[in-house]
Amino acid sequence: MFSKRIAQTFLFLFVILSLALAGCAPAPQPTTAPAAPEATQPPAAPATEPPAAPATEPPAAPEATEPPAEPPAERPVLTMIFTQEFDTLNPYYTNMWFSQITQSFWNCWAWTFDEATAPVPILVSEMPSIDNGGITEGGRVLTFKLRDDLVWSDGTPLTADDFVFTYEMVINPANTVAQVSPYDLVKSIEAPDPQTVVVTFEEPYAAWIGTFWRGLLPKHILQPVFDADGTIDNAGWNRNPTVGCGPFNFSEWESGSFARFVANDNFWLGKAKIGEIFVRFVPDDASQIAALKAGEGDVGTFFAYSDVPELEAAGVNIIKSFSGYNEGFYFYLDPEKSHPALRDVNVRKALAYATNRQKLTEDLLLGLTVPAATLWDNTPYVDPSLQPYPYDPEKAKQLLDEAGWIDSDGDGVRDKDGVALELTYGTTTREIRQDTQAVFQQELAEVGIKTELQNFDYDIFFSGYGEGGPAATGQLDMYEYSNVVTGYPDPDTADWLCSEIPSDDSPAGVNWSAYCDEELDALFLLQATQVDDAARRATFHQISKMIYDKVYWLGIWQDPDLFGISDKLANVRISGVMPFFNIFEWEFK
Amino acid sequence: MTRYIIRRLLQAIPLLFIISVVLFVMMQNMGDPLATMGGRTVTRSSERARLTRQLGLDKPIYVQYLYWLVGNDWTKIDLDGDGVPESAGRRQGILRGDFGTSLVNRGVPVVKVIGDRLVNTLLLMLTAELVIIVGALLIGIYSALHQYSVLDNAITAVTFFLYSLPVFFFALIVMYIFAVNFKRWGLPYLPTVGMFDPQVGKTPSQVAWHMVLPVATLSFGFFAAYSRYIRSAMLEALNQDYVRTAKAKGLPRPQIVYIHALKNAALPIVTVVALDLPFLLGGAVVTERIFAWPGTGRLFLDHVSRGDTPVVMGLLMMIAVAVILFQIIADVLYAWLDPRIRYK
Repeated sequence: MFSKRIAQTFLFLFVILSLALAGCAPAPQPTTAPAAPEATQPPAAPATEPPAAPATEPPAAPEATEPPAEPPAERPVLTMIFTQEFDTLNPYYTNMWFSQITQSFWNCWAWTFDEATAPVPILVSEMPSIDNGGITEGGRVLTFKLRDDLVWSDGTPLTADDFVFTYEMVINPANTVAQVSPYDLVKSIEAPDPQTVVVTFEEPYAAWIGTFWRGLLPKHILQPVFDADGTIDNAGWNRNPTVGCGPFNFSEWESGSFARFVANDNFWLGKAKIGEIFVRFVPDDASQIAALKAGEGDVGTFFAYSDVPELEAAGVNIIKSFSGYNEGFYFYLDPEKSHPALRDVNVRKALAYATNRQKLTEDLLLGLTVPAATLWDNTPYVDPSLQPYPYDPEKAKQLLDEAGWIDSDGDGVRDKDGVALELTYGTTTREIRQDTQAVFQQELAEVGIKTELQNFDYDIFFSGYGEGGPAATGQLDMYEYSNVVTGYPDPDTADWLCSEIPSDDSPAGVNWSAYCDEELDALFLLQATQVDDAARRATFHQISKMIYDKVYWLGIWQDPDLFGISDKLANVRISGVMPFFNIFEWEFK
Repeated sequence: MTRYIIRRLLQAIPLLFIISVVLFVMMQNMGDPLATMGGRTVTRSSERARLTRQLGLDKPIYVQYLYWLVGNDWTKIDLDGDGVPESAGRRQGILRGDFGTSLVNRGVPVVKVIGDRLVNTLLLMLTAELVIIVGALLIGIYSALHQYSVLDNAITAVTFFLYSLPVFFFALIVMYIFAVNFKRWGLPYLPTVGMFDPQVGKTPSQVAWHMVLPVATLSFGFFAAYSRYIRSAMLEALNQDYVRTAKAKGLPRPQIVYIHALKNAALPIVTVVALDLPFLLGGAVVTERIFAWPGTGRLFLDHVSRGDTPVVMGLLMMIAVAVILFQIIADVLYAWLDPRIRYK
């Protein structure tokens, strides 16, 4: 009897406790207080408050259930749906695309790029060139002239000192930034006056336009942090950058849920027409599509090609933006350890002729893109004569016959010297890639090439040599993914450099093909120093043709980024480099 | 009893140690945190080498584990890559309460990364658990009292139908019906994703409104299991002699059912709930993902996929500790509830 009473009491208490917990839990965050954890709140205070009504009386409202409705006409909120949450907002600590694309909201690049990938000055008054004296000493010295009306969002002048500080933080080994490159090539950076930044390199450096000054760190905020902690790794600003230099001010970021940016009155290119950007993190693709269809998001991105018809039917405008990514094959070509067939250029050409990439883009990618010829498609750096290899299985068979790969034992698979033409073909687990594998496996089987398909989780697939990554360590004869040159729209890449072949002594190398073509290597080293764009283009025409002719890389499809934009929005232009480069000009119709 | 509890707690220490070693080793095989760092391109070789060193990932696994456990502030580390350790370590190790900082959200303490999400997860999961218990009690008692009636059979069929639906399928179906299509048809509709409408703000009513679909997803499938449990426990209790005696005494039916039978039948449910509680901390990976609910389930998934050992270890150890604690609590409760059980 005693135990029964206890059981009853326990059950009752449990129910009460659950109710209490459920009831209490949301209480700490109702009617979100304005962010403002750092003392230096911008003077444009009203603009940094989230929804107008509750923000006017911060401490009073925790019990208020429903605030009065917002006046949307006054401060329209633009809702974006991101399938990934940013890891950090510090521009130099992240590699994530979803963090980088928000930098055009609240941080500033020295110059951005428009939809035609032409540079658009933001902090500099004009792009440095040989003609205007911005590029001197054969490309060893770059002089950036800054506008004289630059201010951080808190009103502090933005000067050349902030550039020097940014450089110093990036190269300081106490800071675990994501990328030191290209700042590690710099010999010195000086600020002779508040509007001038002079960068001196050891060697002429051609790729600066695609790599330099992508984001700026506010010296007046972060210098004290660095002085106190010896690093800015743990700075609150990284996650809570209340002082910025973009058309919007960062307002708040709630882990896993949302981030909010409100218009910056101090932005020198004009005040944003949209009052607020609300970024919601929705990790599930199907949920993103549902939210876009339900009108709960104005902008979505990174969805599958197969979702496009459904979105278009729901009235969502689709914008394709070529951001330099091209899906293609790399081949493991180590002179000793690779499959002997792949070392023969004719076999690689046969792979190109045997796969119907035109039909693939029409069927699997719904005709939304076209086959890729080179890694530099849609840029001026590709030899204009290059077209994707056509589908010609007969030619593929002929090339294989000529190369000595014939089906001698009648098992349907070609062989030579007792080695079967059987290739491992690996990629990530992305659905479209698995579909592509199935199609190509069939097509290659028709010309007598057997493929063993393998799929890996993203981070395992891209693991380096030292971590035993399947592509990096030559476990895959051919591997497929979508790649981009590092500093797009700059064409430079390290993927074929002889010095980048990974080994036990140099496990971090990125030339996973493990092949050194000295002629190609020399061209890559040459272009890296060619500050004259015309000369550099000529070099890249040679490079792209050589890679195409020798099939060191075989293009499958051009992989544009897809953006779903609500038909309520106007003035939307999307750049392949910095998608929302003109976000301050967007407006609701 | 006190000695028993102390002994159990002491036994938990080596158990947690073994769990932590196994999990730590397993985490090293969950992908390379520096492969892409969440980006769309492979990390450059020089950056990878530098970060590997700065983040201490170049150390042998036992050294990494040691630093995780006891910190590295007693030694020097090489940050600038000249081969000479020059900087003092800053980590204190979990034994001194420092769970480290996230590799993904670089520099953010693990406790904050997890803490930010734990509230949301508890809100969602406890609400769902409550709905499950209340719903299952209602269904289970009704089914027991009306055994083999038409409605009993119908409820059984429906709950088992819901039970057999995959969670992601149920979630997307209800989202499309009640959020997308209801809106299109001009009916009152529920929101698709998130915790609140940005135009309105994060108010309790908004949060509650946004919880409807995820809570339904989490609870409907579990009605079957819990209600069957209650149904059989109730049936067993209703057939006991003391219930027959109560009936013979002429007690009112509600008193017999709710006081005499249910009190006894509720005992096993309490045990089941107590054992389920620690797992609520882990969140619901699928439901949180689909409804974009910012909980620990999604956190776990996001950080496992990027090889963020400190955060994943923090989450897993939190759950491991909770499981052990709740098991001890359940055992103690058993002895307390049932006088026949004695621990020495």
